[in-house]
Amino acid sequence: MKARKEAGRPAKAAAPDFNFRRLPGGRVLLTNDSGASAVVDEAGFRAVAAGRPAGKTAAGLEAKGFVRERMDFEGYAAARASRNTFLNSGPGLHILVTTLRCNHKCLYCQAGAAPAGGNGTDMSRKVARKSVDFALNSTNPGLTIEFQGGEPLLNWATLSDAVVYARRRAKAAGRDLRLALVSNFSLMTEQKARFLLENEVSICTSLDGPADLHDRNRVFAGGDAHALTVRWLKYFSERADRQGPGYRVFKPSALLTVTRASLGRARDIIDEYARLGLGDIFVRPLTPIGYARKLWPEIGYSAADFAKFYRACLDRILELNASGTQLRERHAMIMLQKIAGADPGYLDMRCPCGAAIGQLAYDYNGDLYTCDEGRMVGWEGDKMFRLGSVLKDDYRSVMLAPVSRACAAASNLEAQPRCARCAYKPYCGVCPVCNYESQGSLWGDMAASDRCALSMGMFDALFGLLQKPAKAKILNGWIGQ
Amino acid sequence: MTTRKLSIAVKLGEHKAEAVRYAAYAVSGSAYVHISPAKGGLRVAIEPKPGCGPAPALAAAFRRELEDEELRARVSAENRELREFLLLKAVNYRPAPPPQDDSGLTPQQEKELNDLIAQIENEIRTEAPGSDPLGITSTWEDRYESKKRSRKAR
Repeated sequence: MKARKEAGRPAKAAAPDFNFRRLPGGRVLLTNDSGASAVVDEAGFRAVAAGRPAGKTAAGLEAKGFVRERMDFEGYAAARASRNTFLNSGPGLHILVTTLRCNHKCLYCQAGAAPAGGNGTDMSRKVARKSVDFALNSTNPGLTIEFQGGEPLLNWATLSDAVVYARRRAKAAGRDLRLALVSNFSLMTEQKARFLLENEVSICTSLDGPADLHDRNRVFAGGDAHALTVRWLKYFSERADRQGPGYRVFKPSALLTVTRASLGRARDIIDEYARLGLGDIFVRPLTPIGYARKLWPEIGYSAADFAKFYRACLDRILELNASGTQLRERHAMIMLQKIAGADPGYLDMRCPCGAAIGQLAYDYNGDLYTCDEGRMVGWEGDKMFRLGSVLKDDYRSVMLAPVSRACAAASNLEAQPRCARCAYKPYCGVCPVCNYESQGSLWGDMAASDRCALSMGMFDALFGLLQKPAKAKILNGWIGQ
Repeated sequence: MTTRKLSIAVKLGEHKAEAVRYAAYAVSGSAYVHISPAKGGLRVAIEPKPGCGPAPALAAAFRRELEDEELRARVSAENRELREFLLLKAVNYRPAPPPQDDSGLTPQQEKELNDLIAQIENEIRTEAPGSDPLGITSTWEDRYESKKRSRKAR
């Protein structure tokens, strides 16, 4: 009897290897380690879990590796390898802190800047050149050297020398090198701007929204912070639109740092970016490091508040897109690229994270750190994330430094109990520095982590929008899909 | 009211201890969860953290997580070998090289040569103390200059 029963039924199928997350409305998101994703209803979910998807969606699920008995091993391995090619490259981003001095006093500044008139916190030309030499050791085929501060224009002599030196060294070595500057523009002049354009330095600044909001967050005693930012954004934008012979001009980019004052102002902020003709906006949550951590009770917010704000921003951006205004949100683009199987090179959402193996931060005195956040912790007196010095350590010893290994181990999502079972694992990453600062260990506790909740909120918002065909079309258009 | 502790009995015949542990971890951001042995299974005590709760909602969340974690545990167990196989395959994946017709070797000879090289590389990797298969510690010169030199010599 028993044998007959078994003969009449197909053998029990095993479930495929997948993670899942229940979305609002009863639908379920499925993902796997190749990075494939699918959204199914409850019945479809039960069928996948039983190893027997059927109906119209079965072929699509099979192609994505959600049917264990019909997997394309080669395709799966190729997709997974392609998403992780960065593991074979050395650090690509090299952040040179040319000075700690700054003439702004931004409420959220995690850079813990020194006063503009201070001394002893500028990078010398010798250290800058050593830093460039060190960066060129990296095996990464596409290097970026980013000049940061403080306000890097306060140390123009070193900055301009390092730009020329880096271009010369890269040319001699046949290396592909991008140069970038992060500046508040308050000290920008026509002469400096021309130099930067001629040397193909891309420009990035902060724009926190309309004047009242920007000036409230980014306190500048020396003038009108918002007006200066707008003036130079327009200057670089116009030149990028015109281009010209001899060198490429990059479109300037702007970052939004969200404080409590930004919540409820999503529409104003997005409209300000649209008004200025900026193509992208990068909506970034506050990081509770440095000065921002001290001021958290006044400027901080919950992950749920941020998720609501982020969704409001996306809604407004999509509304503008639908009416013909081109504006994209960069976090969404990064996530969309990852969902589509590409590696956008975003170091904060990688497994392992970019600390040391994806980026290095070079402090004004030549000290090397895992990342800019790690450097900030060092500036506060805790050298936990210090890797060595460009003045006396070699590349190998820096890559093998205990903290490089510790950060890689701590940010391995396979070893994080929550992340290993999370549907967003193929697209996400954890930050050992944030964990250390907010929870007291590199490892952290994702169940209680605000950063984890923030990321979840952003992914939820995006996957929610991707379920709506008209919005999905716009979003996928941002990454050429 | 929101700080009241709730206890849930879980039968080990119905749920694995691993699933209980993961479900407890999933709600641990909002509640203190204490798992203790009880007759026929486990007792899970849930107490909301300050500002979180109420306890019945957290207990309901725990029960939902428990069902999901049970499935995750099954999926994980059923796919352990497959997962390891796929990981190895991805780590060792190399895109097919473009066809070359000027090597002077037959496809069979080429395959033998590649197999031999792969075998030697594998031996070097596995035998070298403190091996670095991804070349993370290599500098640009280590990786590319020797190739340049040998090309020039030719």
